[in-house]
Amino acid sequence: MVHIQQSRLKRIEILKLIIFLGIISAALTVLLRVENMLLSFLLAFVLKYTLAPVVNWAERQGLARSISTLTVFTLFFVTIGGLFYWTLPFVSEQITAFQYELPRYIEGTKELIFDIESKIEETINTSMELNLSAQTETLMVSWTKSIFEDIPQFLSKSLTTILLAPFFAYFLLKDSRKVQRALLDIVPNSFFELVLSLQHQINEQMGQFIRARLLEAVIVGSIVWFGLSLINFKFAYILALFAALTNLIPYIGPIIGAVPAIIIAFINGAPVILVIGIYAFAQLIDMLFIIPLVVAKIVNLHPVSVVIAIIIGAQLMGVLGMLVSIPAASVLKVTGQNVYHHLINFRA
Amino acid sequence: MINYLWDNLFKKSEDAVFKAISNNIIFEGLSRSELKTVVDFLHVRHYRHGELIFRQNEIGVGMYIILKGKVDIFIEKANNTSKEPKDEFITRLEENDIMGEISLIEENSRRTASAKALVEVQLIGFFQPDLQNLLKSNPEIGSKILLKLSQILGRRLAETARKISELKKQIDSLKA
Repeated sequence: MVHIQQSRLKRIEILKLIIFLGIISAALTVLLRVENMLLSFLLAFVLKYTLAPVVNWAERQGLARSISTLTVFTLFFVTIGGLFYWTLPFVSEQITAFQYELPRYIEGTKELIFDIESKIEETINTSMELNLSAQTETLMVSWTKSIFEDIPQFLSKSLTTILLAPFFAYFLLKDSRKVQRALLDIVPNSFFELVLSLQHQINEQMGQFIRARLLEAVIVGSIVWFGLSLINFKFAYILALFAALTNLIPYIGPIIGAVPAIIIAFINGAPVILVIGIYAFAQLIDMLFIIPLVVAKIVNLHPVSVVIAIIIGAQLMGVLGMLVSIPAASVLKVTGQNVYHHLINFRA
Repeated sequence: MINYLWDNLFKKSEDAVFKAISNNIIFEGLSRSELKTVVDFLHVRHYRHGELIFRQNEIGVGMYIILKGKVDIFIEKANNTSKEPKDEFITRLEENDIMGEISLIEENSRRTASAKALVEVQLIGFFQPDLQNLLKSNPEIGSKILLKLSQILGRRLAETARKISELKKQIDSLKA
């Protein structure tokens, strides 16, 4: 009798587990298959994790969750809107000027690489033709084309994404507890405590990770802007913006971020060492203060794992994949560790 | 119409939870509005007759309050004659009783006994992640709960110390 009852309970638990995993898989399929849905949700989560501490602070001051969320959201978007309005003429002026001077920079880079190429050929005395300069020109033309033509197109096409993200973020912040509880309700009893602690750890780690990366990007961008402006370097603002954005990609990002400024310095005859010094100083501050204090404690991924994750991300989803690879890898690590811990320790 | 049904479906379960925690020792001293805030952080779990709630030596991350039904607490004792462990009944818990409160505070705490639903059971779960979230968003409420928990655990510690000293005395008298 007891045996029959236990096997019936086991069947119910398995059924509940299948339903729970089915819902999770269905949600993941919608995210990956429906156009722009993944990007909307990723942006919404970035917004949610950025604003969550401020909403929590407002709640601690005695405001209801809904009012704190609405107040923080309004203030945030007014500030962002203001900043956008203030910097737009300035940024568009720099972008137009940069676009105008671009052929000169492509030509200059080509010549620069041609010089290096001939020096290599002279030194090694090889009969093999490297032809790097022509390849570089093709690459640079396609890259800049993608930056100036594809990104505005992508932005106008993704207007829905950009508008949907704050909408999702608002409800993720306001109703996160209810949403989490509703999801946890369908978890089978025997996995409930494991799933709850897993969800909490992932949530905490993602929140800290996203806030730390954004803080890093803002600090690196500010140092580059300040440094380049100090030496009256051309396009200081958009170069700093580019450095801040590429800094979000670990290891490779800072190098990609510095390349345009170094090329411009070479071609314009500006002090290249000084420009490299500014970027190196920004990275030094990042490495000495921000990473040990903020980032290192959060995601302990081995550098080899980080590079592998970035390569896989880039192969699967391009630049977006590079940005998402590290948080995705850390979610996998936390989940793997917890499930292993559960299998070994949870069930004694 | 759907909204009305949906709201009332949740409201009914939230009302029951609110009523249960307002009479519970852990949440003693909290005002009505504070109790309403706490309800948002709790989980209602349903267990069938004979279902295991937690097993001895498993890692636990929180405590349960019995909302409806009865729960048997027992410990598994190694049996010398057969390989199968033998269950030893400890106590029967009823509505509004609490279990597993040490796991709410201790990290990687292992359950000291097993709990099984005697009938259809509804439990209110309150876990470490919920307490941490509560401390973040409403530290005043969180610290009141922590203080109450410390008082309960302190009382238990004093009781255990008293029992140990009594047992020591008995051992000494037996030796003599």
